Amino acid sequence: MANELSTNVNEITQYIVIRIGEEQYGIDIKYIDNIVRMQQITRVPQVPAHFKGVINLRGEVIPVMSIRIKMGLAPDVVSKDTRIIIVKMDQHEGIGIMVDMVKEVVNLSSAEIERVGFDRGDNGNAYASGIGKHETGLITLLDLEAVLAGL
Amino acid sequence: MDVSQYLDIFLDESKEHLQNLNTSVLNLEQDPENPDTISEIFRAAHTLKGMAGTMGYKRMQNLTHDMENVFSEVRDGKLKVNAAMIDVLFRCLDAIEEYVSVISETSDEGDNDNEPIIKELNDILAGKGASEEEDKPKESVAASAEPAAAAAAADASSAAPAVAWDFTEEEHKALEDAMMANKKLYSVTVTVQESCLLKAARAFLVFKAIEERGEIVAAKPSTQDIEDEKFDLEFSLIIASEGELEPILNDIKAVSEIADAKGGIFEGDQAAESEAEAPSAPVTEKKEESEAPAPDPGTSVANVKNVVAKKPETAGSGAKTEKKSGSKPAVNRTVRVDIEKLDSLMNLVSELIIAKNSLVSSATSSAESSNLHEQIEYLESVTTNLHESVMKVRMVPIESVVSKFPRMIRDISKQLNKPMELYMSGEETELDRTVVDEIGDPLMHMLRNSADHGLEMPQERIARGKPETGSIFLDAYQDGNNVVIEVRDDGNGIDVERVRQKAIERGVMTEEQAYAADDSDIINLLFMPSFSTAKQVSDLSGRGVGLDVVKSKIEALSGEVDVKTKLGEGTTFSIRLPLTLAIIQALMVVVGGEKYAIALSGIQTIENISPKDVKTVESKEVINLRGTVIPILRLDEILGCDSQREPEEDMIVVIAKKGDKLAGLVVDNLIGQQEIVIKSMGKYINKCKFISGATILGDGEVALIIDSNALI
Repeated sequence: MANELSTNVNEITQYIVIRIGEEQYGIDIKYIDNIVRMQQITRVPQVPAHFKGVINLRGEVIPVMSIRIKMGLAPDVVSKDTRIIIVKMDQHEGIGIMVDMVKEVVNLSSAEIERVGFDRGDNGNAYASGIGKHETGLITLLDLEAVLAGL
Repeated sequence: MDVSQYLDIFLDESKEHLQNLNTSVLNLEQDPENPDTISEIFRAAHTLKGMAGTMGYKRMQNLTHDMENVFSEVRDGKLKVNAAMIDVLFRCLDAIEEYVSVISETSDEGDNDNEPIIKELNDILAGKGASEEEDKPKESVAASAEPAAAAAAADASSAAPAVAWDFTEEEHKALEDAMMANKKLYSVTVTVQESCLLKAARAFLVFKAIEERGEIVAAKPSTQDIEDEKFDLEFSLIIASEGELEPILNDIKAVSEIADAKGGIFEGDQAAESEAEAPSAPVTEKKEESEAPAPDPGTSVANVKNVVAKKPETAGSGAKTEKKSGSKPAVNRTVRVDIEKLDSLMNLVSELIIAKNSLVSSATSSAESSNLHEQIEYLESVTTNLHESVMKVRMVPIESVVSKFPRMIRDISKQLNKPMELYMSGEETELDRTVVDEIGDPLMHMLRNSADHGLEMPQERIARGKPETGSIFLDAYQDGNNVVIEVRDDGNGIDVERVRQKAIERGVMTEEQAYAADDSDIINLLFMPSFSTAKQVSDLSGRGVGLDVVKSKIEALSGEVDVKTKLGEGTTFSIRLPLTLAIIQALMVVVGGEKYAIALSGIQTIENISPKDVKTVESKEVINLRGTVIPILRLDEILGCDSQREPEEDMIVVIAKKGDKLAGLVVDNLIGQQEIVIKSMGKYINKCKFISGATILGDGEVALIIDSNALI
């Protein structure tokens, strides 16, 4: 682990910092296709509760999920800060993730990132790939693969 | 010569000709004397040979050449068609097919000479020729006569436009016929560009162009030589036509890589002059025709075989043009288009429709001047027409897929020793190109299934009082916005009891479940993976793969499969496929404040029903609509939302139909009919069976599309 860190010490990754409840989460910017304001979501019947429905993103129909429900938190309360982050990963189709607020973009060098071992599951954070230490506080880095797995 | 740019055309056309040959040989098996079929086969084999030769595929050329030779003899009545010959021919076709597929993969024909088949073909020829062995010495005469004639022909053509015609007997007769019919005779000299690669192909296109306006009665060099590219840059034709010369010349010039076409009225005295020459021609001809084709395929003799094969061809093509002018051939004016280009065109049309829908909705909300409405209506009709045209471009008849089945059934019949006949109808039914490409395999599986499992062995059939020969039917027809393809056989039908036993044996169902389930549920088990009732695993089917593949393939095309069976009488599999996959007419409805679309094609009527007319049968709600009992489904419950109508109000019931089943869907309100663009919701949300997709409404809102078929 120490070796790995020293070799990549200068590698900078950009993360978008979002707020879910009182916690800060980071999503690797390379997976983010778009960030849109809250809009009308069409409910889809008979799907798991964390699927909020589908939206029209410039002519494309994109499903939207609530990461709060997926994480076992209280349901989303829509405010003027609520955003839908459209993420696209190689293996997956585009999907929207509802978040309470988008804060900022931060640069984290690999030295500032603490990788999480196998002891996931605490605090319902089975979806963390690491913790970023930044001047604004700790940022839980989301493991999107895990978030989108089993959808 | 670089011919790679023609490879695609070569492959496409070869496949077409092979298909043609397969069909014709099958017909020939039924009706061995039919002269039309024989000359059709000859023509197709000949074209194949020419094409393979031009592309430089020598092995394929040799094989087709020998096949052509056999047919040349058959056509002249010197050989009789028999079962052994048909078998050789089919093997020959398979071998050619292999060449074509090897060429399509590697653009090389491979190194299989197929000598056994060539030998068999030659044996057929030799078997007939044996009795005429004594004619052999004459061969040398013909062989030497031919090059001389060819040389003379080459000379003459270079001296054009004053073409010296020396007509064969057939040509002469055709000329006389044309004159008798009061047709005008034109003599035309066509010059090909020097850079032209496929001169024969161009000449062929010229022939085609001319045949639209008249017929070719004579050619110099002979049509055969022209097709074999045995001409320099020019060839001359005599055309009999009822029309003027000018349009013919224009048509010829319109063919690409044709440098020039000149012509004038064909003078009668020239005809007379040639008449004087005529007597000499038939003599050589007769000599050659009496020739036996070489029994031993030596290289020097191969030349002679060419001569024998060639001469009758001139006669044949004369007969062919005559026949053609009788039933004017509908020449397809087509352009090959990459399907991706069509897809992008289709996407643009979809965008246009969405934009139009949003115009419609903003216009209705803002109550603008009537002019705006008029313009929008105009836009609406234009987009609808545009959509229909693009759809039609993508449609192809299913014929291209089903035409290979008769041959397949024939082979199965031989293999299983089970006489059977395939009857097809509705081959002209059209479907989206992507669907047609995918439907071949499922249909093949079903036909094999019918042939192998469905039909009984002949003894059994006779014992049951059925005709010995089993029948399989393949019917395709359009039903509203669907296309239905049925595979029907008059065999044993599905033994539901046996399937039930099997289900219990395999542990798919418990005994109670199996006996509680009704027959259609049991039959549906056949579509499960690895569930086969065949007692013996055969080469054809019964390996448990098949029906489940059929089902998943059809469902991937948004279609469905249905089975009807009667023990002892037969089974019908019907496949129902949507005509279009992208844009449909839909009824927009409101349920619990949410908007949904229901495909109009699945809707029979819309009824107002009083809540007191709803009865309960077996704890299911039904209504009695003009004597028909129809189950009703409350969409608010199914969709999980709350109806906003009062329970005592009249219900709006959309009567949906699927095949001959009906169901009433209870909705809150109707919005109206609208053209919608189907958008996939992606693979994350595909668990909901009765939602087939989503669409974007004029105001940008997403509405879900209810698949009424899945609800019934």
